[in-house]
Amino acid sequence: MRLQRRDQSDTIEIWDDVVRIRDLILAIIINSLTTLGGYFAAPDDPPMPLLFGLIGAVIGFVLCSFIIKPKRTFEENESER
Amino acid sequence: MDLVLIAEMIGAAIAAAMIYTIIGIIPGTDETAVLVPVTLILVLAGVQPIIILCFFISAIIANNLMDAVPAAVAGIPGGVMTSPMVEHAQLLKKHGLAGQSLRKMAAGSLIGVLVSVPVSLLLASRLIPLAHLIQTYANPLFFIGAIILALLSKNKALALASTLPFALLIEGMRHLYWGVGAVPRGTTVFISFFLGITIGPVILTLFELLDKKKRESMIHAEPRKIVLRKDRFEWKWLNPFKIVNKREWVTSGVASLISCFTFILSPVGVTIFLGELFARRRKNPVERSSLAIVTMNALANATYISGALIPLIALGIPLSPVAIGPAHALFDAPPVFTATRNMHHLLTTGDFIWATVIGAGIAIIMTYVITVKYAQSICAFVFKHIPHEAILGLFCGFVLLLAYMDAGWINIGGVLLIGLVAGMLHRWGVNYGILFMTLYAAPWLVGLFG
Repeated sequence: MRLQRRDQSDTIEIWDDVVRIRDLILAIIINSLTTLGGYFAAPDDPPMPLLFGLIGAVIGFVLCSFIIKPKRTFEENESER
Repeated sequence: MDLVLIAEMIGAAIAAAMIYTIIGIIPGTDETAVLVPVTLILVLAGVQPIIILCFFISAIIANNLMDAVPAAVAGIPGGVMTSPMVEHAQLLKKHGLAGQSLRKMAAGSLIGVLVSVPVSLLLASRLIPLAHLIQTYANPLFFIGAIILALLSKNKALALASTLPFALLIEGMRHLYWGVGAVPRGTTVFISFFLGITIGPVILTLFELLDKKKRESMIHAEPRKIVLRKDRFEWKWLNPFKIVNKREWVTSGVASLISCFTFILSPVGVTIFLGELFARRRKNPVERSSLAIVTMNALANATYISGALIPLIALGIPLSPVAIGPAHALFDAPPVFTATRNMHHLLTTGDFIWATVIGAGIAIIMTYVITVKYAQSICAFVFKHIPHEAILGLFCGFVLLLAYMDAGWINIGGVLLIGLVAGMLHRWGVNYGILFMTLYAAPWLVGLFG
């Protein structure tokens, strides 16, 4: 119960959806690291850095999707037709 | 045109349609922010211009339609262009017609493509004789464009009053970078400023989170509630004539036609204005909303296609909000494309027609079938498994990357500053089109005082 209350107390709405502040900070850190990491790890020959950076961004995105749970409740029902 | 090239173009169009089907469905993805980095990569990688154009046309069509899908299914806008549709989509959803509104969206998209592709190509060829004149006055025209958009917006006085200060901010940053040697004198930092404006509202909110009082007032304890209704698929839905009625065909066709001539105005503005104008006249709310859905989807495609193609074919300078925004990399991506040597100069009229027809044809066929047949399952997957945090993180990563590439570490602070100001202006009611036009007109405007 206490845990749940703490969870709820730091969710906010941003860009039309609900996020938890701690998860958001985590996601920003992960994505910044993977994106810039990809950029700097790439061979110095355009457009490789940009390409590696974008690949890094995608990797960060996938990582976050695994780590962080969406804050949405979900209901599916069959059409009554 | 040889067969290998055609096969490559088809491949590019299929790839674009698939990639942007997924990206489009993700809620909140801004059109410009998702289109620019990928097209930029292709340009810098030295892919043939005709293939890039084909990719781009397919990408905008797929992205526009898929942006609308979450609105129909869950009442969440998939992107900026679909925010005006949400209200209508929600009304249909309340009446248990979510499946039908999805199909109407797909059909509307198809109508938009069918009208805008030939009309844009024709209109562009008519404008070519005037191109030289228009190019000479490009800079004042951008400024006039900003003024016109400001006068058409809701908050006229505010929008007008903010153009000069915003132009000063942009030019001030550029001169600062020259002064400290972050970039060589004369290099115009552009793309990262552009993304800073796009993501401005998010940057502003992130800064507000740092303020404890603000943060506490922003708390929103309820998780987002999403209800999905499953429809069983029927083959007859693949026939667009069975999905939209005659009035919807005619209205959305006429609206698309008009929007090709207003390519210089902001696409979302035109979509709201024409969409509501035509739909408002229906009394029955369900009829009105379904007419609005068809028309707005047609308009989304028509404004994007005309806004990208006409400046590209006729002018070679990005004189429309779409060309400055999502299509920007086709005009300006140094060192490959520059103001004097971009897609406009490199492709023939025949090339433009081929790339557009192949790109648009493949995208609309693929996304039409996907929307009608699989949209609900794709939506369910995205809502269940993709956290919003990951999307916001992805954008922050993009902004960091492009900021660093443009002018080094100092520019990360610069982009944050521009994002803060742009985000505030946007929240107050100055729309993106005005800010983008100002970004373009800034050197000329500030030069007037020199």
